[in-house]
This record gives sequence, C-alpha cells and structure tokens, in this order.
Amino acid sequence: MEQNMKNSSVKVADTLILGGGIAGLEAALNLANTGHQVVIVEKDLSIGGRMIHLSKVFPTLDCSACITTPKVSEASRHPGIHIQVNTGAKKLAFDAKGHWHVHVQTEPRFVNESLCTGCQDCERACPVVVKDEYQYNLVGRKVAYIPFSIASPRIAAIDIENCILCGACEKACVPGAIDFSQEPVQTEWIVKSVIIASGFTLFDPDQIERYGGGKFKNVVTAMQMERQLVPTRPFNTVLRPGDGKIPDKVAYVLCAGSRDGTVGNPICSQICCMYSIKQAQLILGALPMADVTVYYLHIRSFGKGFDEFYQQAKKMDVSFIKGKIGKISELENGDLMLRYEDIASGKIKEAKHDMVVLSVGILANRDIEKISGLENLELDPFHYLKQRQEMSNPFKTNLPGIFMAGTASGPMDIPDSILSAGAVSAMVTKYNKGFVESIINSLTISSWNE
Amino acid sequence: MSELDPKFAREILKFGDGTFSACYNCGNCTAVCNLANNDNTFPRRLIRFSVLGLKDQIDASLDPWLCYYCGDCSTTCPRNANPGDLMMTLRRYLSSSYDWTGLARKFYTSKVFELTAIFILALFILLLFVFFHGPMTTELTPDGGVQLNTFAPWKTIEAGDWIMAGFLSFFLLSNIFNMYLKVIWRRKDLKIPVSLYFSELRHLIIHFFSQWRFSDCETNQDSFFTKVKNGEYTYWFVHFLLMSSYVLLFTMIVGFLYWFQTDEIHPWWHPQRLLGYYSTFGLLLGTIYFIVLRIKKQNEKSKNSHYTDWTFLTLLFLTTLTGILVHLFRIGGLPMATYYMYVLHLMILFPMLMIEVPFSKWSHLAYRPFAIYFSNVIMAAQQKTSQK
Ligand SMILES: Cc1cc2nc3c(=O)[nH]c(=O)nc-3n(C[C@H](O)[C@H](O)[C@H](O)COP(=O)(O)OP(=O)(O)OC[C@H]3O[C@@H](n4cnc5c(N)ncnc54)[C@H](O)[C@@H]3O)c2cc1C
Ligand code: SF4
Ligand code: SF4
Ligand code: SF4
Ligand code: SF4
Repeated sequence: MEQNMKNSSVKVADTLILGGGIAGLEAALNLANTGHQVVIVEKDLSIGGRMIHLSKVFPTLDCSACITTPKVSEASRHPGIHIQVNTGAKKLAFDAKGHWHVHVQTEPRFVNESLCTGCQDCERACPVVVKDEYQYNLVGRKVAYIPFSIASPRIAAIDIENCILCGACEKACVPGAIDFSQEPVQTEWIVKSVIIASGFTLFDPDQIERYGGGKFKNVVTAMQMERQLVPTRPFNTVLRPGDGKIPDKVAYVLCAGSRDGTVGNPICSQICCMYSIKQAQLILGALPMADVTVYYLHIRSFGKGFDEFYQQAKKMDVSFIKGKIGKISELENGDLMLRYEDIASGKIKEAKHDMVVLSVGILANRDIEKISGLENLELDPFHYLKQRQEMSNPFKTNLPGIFMAGTASGPMDIPDSILSAGAVSAMVTKYNKGFVESIINSLTISSWNE
Repeated sequence: MSELDPKFAREILKFGDGTFSACYNCGNCTAVCNLANNDNTFPRRLIRFSVLGLKDQIDASLDPWLCYYCGDCSTTCPRNANPGDLMMTLRRYLSSSYDWTGLARKFYTSKVFELTAIFILALFILLLFVFFHGPMTTELTPDGGVQLNTFAPWKTIEAGDWIMAGFLSFFLLSNIFNMYLKVIWRRKDLKIPVSLYFSELRHLIIHFFSQWRFSDCETNQDSFFTKVKNGEYTYWFVHFLLMSSYVLLFTMIVGFLYWFQTDEIHPWWHPQRLLGYYSTFGLLLGTIYFIVLRIKKQNEKSKNSHYTDWTFLTLLFLTTLTGILVHLFRIGGLPMATYYMYVLHLMILFPMLMIEVPFSKWSHLAYRPFAIYFSNVIMAAQQKTSQK
C-alpha cells in the first residue's frame, strides 16, 4: 500500500455500512439526514440490493423499483453519503481509541466512471454474449455492459473474465471511457461504527435431485419468475424458458430449500409463502387464462395485511394444496409431473403442469465470515449474525461499534428490513454522538455486551 | 370410534428409537415411496397414527409389512423424522401385537429376557445330550467318516425336530390367525367373499418365495443390466439367497433328516452335498453381507440396528459356522470334535429357531407374505363392492 500511493488512501467517516441493499440504504439515509458522514461499501456494480430487481411487493402490490429507486438516487446524491460500488471489505481492525479501520478494495470495472455517459455504445459493439446474472440467466448480456437499466451508478463495466480483448468497445466509446489499465484501489476507512447490511443469498435448488437438479428446463426459481413479472422484464410476457410457450398451468413448490433438514436449512425463510402468493396474483394479471396452483406445507401469512392478501389470492382462484412435492419428473413435451400426497384427502396424486416455480428459501450471506478481523463475530446456528440482546438491543453484534440491519440478522421481508434499519439508525446515532475517544478507549468487548 | 392415546408413542418407542414426533405432516415420504399407493398410503399415515396414538388403526394396519425399508422416505424427510425406521419399529410392534403369548413383546423390549431365554434353551439341549447321547465311538466308517448317527441317531433327532416344528407351527400359525382377526375379521366395513381367499392365494406363494417387491423399490429408468451392474438388485439377491438357503436347510433337517444326516460320505456332486453346500454358502454369505452392512451403516435400512437384529444375525452366523465345522470334522474323521461340535451346533440352532421363528425377526418370513396376501384380499374385496 505504501509503495502504490496512487491506488490507496486513508479516509475518515462516522459510520461505514457494508451492503447497499434496502436496509443499508435506509440506514444510510437516516444517519446522513441527522448529520453523520456515512460510507456505503457495496460489493455489486449497483446499489439497491435484491429489492431493486423485484416486481411488486406484498401485500400492497406497490412497484418495488418505484420504492427503491428514489432512495437509491437520494443516497447517491446525498452530500453526507459516499458510495463505493464494486467494493468489498477485506479487513477490519479495532484500534486503541475505539475506531474501526475498515480496509476495502474496489475492483476495477475497466471503465472510467467520470467519463462514461451510459450511452451503451460499447455494449452494442461488444461481440461476446454471456448469461445475464441480473436477469437470473433467463437471457444473455454483452461482456461490456450496463448491469441493468435502472442500475445506480448507471455506468458500463467490463466483465474481464469473459472478455476476448478485441478492442471493439474501446473504438466505439466516444468519450474514451474504456480503460484496461485500471487496477484494484484500496481505501482505509476510519470510522466510529459499522453496520453490516450484507443481506442474504438464495438457496440453490440444483441440490435437490428430486426436483430435477437444475436439469428441467421449465422449472424456474422464484427470482426468475420475479424477473418475468417486472416492468423491465426480458420477454415482455410470462413464458416458460424451455420452448417459449406461454404457460397455462403454473405450479408453485413452497419450502424448496427451507424448513428442510436434508439440505441443511431447517428454518423458515419467512418470505417465500408471501412472495409466491404475490407472484400468483401477478401471473393471473399477466395471463388471465392461466391456472396457478400453490403446493404448500403451511401458509405463513403473519404480517399486517398478509392474511387478507392470501384470502384475496384464493378469491382470484389461485388453488392452494397442502402437501410437499415429493418428486418432479419431466415429460417429453417439457411439461412436468408433480407427485405429492394430498394431505386433505390422504391420497397420492400426480398433477401435470407446464411450468414449475420453486419458491426457494433464503440463506445467510456467508461473505462476512471471510473478512479478516471478524473472526470473533458471533453467528447464530444458521450463520446469520447473532442478536445477542434480541430483546433490548436487537441490532447490536457482539463486537463494540458493529451493528446489523436487514436480512443479515435473519430472514425478513422488506418492511421488517426497513424497520430494522430505522432501529439501528437510532442506536448508531446514540453511539456516534456519545463517542468520545477517551471513553471508548476503556470500552471492552464485555462491557459492550452487558 | 377410535381413541386418541398421546402416551402410545412411548409404547412404540419401546420397540426402537424414533424421531417421528418431529414430523410436520408434509407427505413427502408418502409421495417418494415407490411402494405406497392409494390403497396403502404410507408412511405418513402411520406416523400420524403413532403420534396421535391411534392404537386400533395401527393394530389393524398391514402397511408396515408392505414397506421394504428402501429408506427413500428417511433420506428425503425434511424433518429427519426417519419414517422408514418407524415402519421397521412398527413391524416389531405388530409382531408382538399378533403374539398372544406375550413372549414376542418380551424379546423385543428386553435384552436380558432374550439372552436368558437363549441361554436356557441352549442348556436344555446340552442336558438332553449329557443324559441321552448315544455311544461316542471313535471307530470310523469304511470311507473314513465319523459315525455321527451312532452318537445322535437321526431317528431320535428327527423326532425332536418334529416336536419342535410342531411347537413352531402352532405358535406361528396361531399368531397369523391373530393377525387375520386384527386386520380383516374385526373390520366391520369389509365383506369378503370366500372365493377371494383362494384367488388371491398366489400372492402368498409368489411373495414367500421371491420377495420380488424389493425390486419395486427401484424405479429409475435404467435398463435391467445397468441396474444389475450398479448393484441395485444386490440386496434383493443376497436376501433371496439367504432366505432360500434357510428354507431349504429347514426342509432338509425337519423333513428329510435320514437323507441329510448320513454317515456315508457322498461324492461332491451328490445332490445331498450340493444342496447342503448351496445352503451353507447362502447363509454364510448372507449373514456376513448383512452384518457388514449394519456395521458400516452404509444404506438407510442398515443404519438403525435394533439389538434383536444383532442377536438374530449372530445366532444365524454361528449356526452356520458350527454346521460347517460338524461337516468338516465328520468327513475328516475326527469323532470327538464332531460330537462336541454337533452338540454346540444344536445348542445354537435350537434357541435360534425357537425364539426367532415365531416370536422375533424370522417371523417376518411369514408375516410379510401373509400381509401382502391379506392386503390383496382386502383390495379385491373393496374393488368388488365399488363395482356393485
Ligand atoms: C423472489 C423474491 C421475492 C421477494 N418479494 C418480496 C416482496 O414482495 N416483499 C417484501 O417485503 N420482500 C420481498 N422479498 C424479500 C426482500 O428481497 C428482502 O427482504 C430484502 O431485499 C432484504 O434487504 P437487505 O438489504 O437486507 O438485503 P439485500 O437486498 O440482499 O442487500 C444486501 C446488499 O449487500 C451487498 N453485499 C453482500 N455482501 C457484501 C459484502 N461482503 N460487502 C459489501 N456488500 C455486500 C449485496 O450486494 C446487496 O446489495 C423477496 C425476496 C425474493 C428472493
Ligand atoms: S474488448 Fe472485451 S468488452 Fe470490449 S468489445 Fe471486446 S470482448 Fe467486449
Ligand atoms: S415462508 Fe412459507 S414457503 Fe417459505 S419457508 Fe416459510 S413456510 Fe416455507
Ligand atoms: S416426510 Fe417427514 S415430515 Fe414429512 S410427513 Fe413424512 S415423516 Fe413427516
Ligand atoms: S422405507 Fe421405502 S418402502 Fe418403506 S415407507 Fe419408506 S420409502 Fe416406502
């Protein structure tokens, strides 16, 4: 770092937030609006987290992007918020004065951020197509690409792993923003407090052999269905990926990878019942003639307005059948046969559907465990951050000055993520305001946890 | 009306370990089971019965016998409730519920009781020989073999065999009759035309001899040869080998002892020796195979061994081993060794048959085919009524 001063710097702020999803953004805005200097460190090319990719939200059916984007743009323009995308934390160190030194590294995107206008000329020029992870592999994207249409910042990036270094993008870019000489940039942030808001990861259903192990073309994940239902959707309609047919009979398989000891995730993901009910209603909006059947174990509609939302789906003729899908088999025409025990009648049944959505569960994001200096951070048995004082100080970790927000602490939906961000903002405000070096100096890990 | 008995789960747990109370009633197990169908919908239903304590329903159910413990339900149960093992435990429970003497229950629930019984029966045989054995001549037959029939004349032994077989059949048949009462007779909703008992009899015979239902556990699309190559029939094959060997030996000993227990040494290709060798080989290979599986806990069905599984396999293995030694000592011309080994052989064989056949593990040899038979009778009867 010393040798390469060009690529490293030391900066100071009040609070560093790890993760720019809805929880991180909400906390950042709350803190910045009360006068704190905040930095958001986001691993992805854009802030907005999972929520920016969703269609509508339960139970209000508000447009998800329409709620996220104002917050995203407010945060990007806020003088009190500094955002670093494509950046990950490498190391955290607690100093004698009670500050956290957070060493972060920004990966090169090979596009000069201040020159790129987001015109997409490079994208059009690039000859290489790969799977688009932002569309959950439903379609392809170029190797020089704007991550997605409402990305923030809306700047191109080059996926260097797949790049053939043909130079076409460089020639096409009028402002000359393409820069293959970029190198990783290190920043050391000295802050009073850290909020971990690194969110969740999705369960990979390919592990479940009985559900096709990822081989059946017309079995999709809920996130893929979510993408088919957003206004900026890739196909502009709902269709099954195997052959492009518009489905008539869609099945939802609930608890796919949650509440299942055999896949190592015995707990409830809390959101999949509700997002499935939401998607079922949205599918009926997009394809009024379709039949949607939800195969469930128990419907968990515990939040405000959730049960009414469930009843509404029933009134819209969504069928709900209690019984875990035991096996899915693929027929020659791409249709799928679902075998289950219908718990209501005690009969074994087989049902044919032309598209199956796996309502995959959510898992803890285990990225955090890889950061050096956080070895002593306590996790719960399911690898979420442990809420040591769940009743009195719910969003404190066991390490002094480190807080948590959103799904980093456990499965929860957007309203709860926002609530947790509000709560943590209050706690951090208090902590930052009371931060006097000499007092913090005497703070030990044990007194923080008292 | 059925009565709920929440304490009944504890009764079931006496017959095996169980985590079935973790079940959240999702039906996955029934959906993945290749042997369940809409006439016999298990194992979830049985788990419900067990959790709720619906004793009457369990007593009248044939489903546990229709499960061949492939373990698919257990490996995929999201709650690790181990439904396959519950089915096994229920087979033990049912065996003792059919047994009017109460001995099966004792054997299944008390190690001490089982071991004491083995010991007493072995002692009984020993005493019989101590007092009633024939002359222990060291003189060999013209072809160099031991005169076993002088020490233990086949006529006397055969008489003993018949008495024992009488006992065994009496207990086993009365238990099967009891099973019949529970699963068919007491069910008021069934009207069974007598003719069905005859027309469905083939199931009893086919399943007794083949246990082909095992292979139904495998439903993947591979060709027969790939399945053989992948070892998908190995379990069935070894089980078949073991059980056919056992039945063959039992028949030879009880029905044809004069022919089987000779002092003459036949040439190796003589049917007496070939059949004997087939059976010993089958028993030896079978017992070793199952013992190794249970030690290694490789597949689902050998993961949860009950102590009665171990006693059974050990007794069977020792019977076979001592039987082989008797044969070797006899043709090798070692009179004293032959006599002692013969007594030891019977000391193991007798308790094994007396305990295992009517009251413990071996009884499934009869209960399973009868269960399939009864269930086919019931299904046929229900079909008839629904056609009307
Ligand atoms: C298919 C689907 C449908 C859904 N529908 C709804 C709905 O209708 N209504 C609703 O309320 N909820 C819904 N949810 C749940 C909702 O997505 C979450 O509750 C919400 O996104 C949680 O926000 P978050 O900020 O905690 O986490 P995230 O959205 O996951 O944000 C975490 C952020 O942290 C970043 N990050 C991760 N690791 C690091 C790291 N090491 N360093 C730096 N940054 C990192 C990530 O890139 C991400 O931007 C749905 C979820 C799914 C899967
Ligand atoms: S240099 Fe790489 S990113 Fe640019 S156009 Fe060629 S392949 Fe695409
Ligand atoms: S929210 Fe519903 S689908 Fe998701 S794990 Fe919980 S019960 Fe299963
Ligand atoms: S699969 Fe497991 S949890 Fe589901 S019904 Fe069967 S035993 Fe119960
Ligand atoms: S062990 Fe196999 S045969 Fe028995 S109930 Fe389970 S799946 Fe069915």
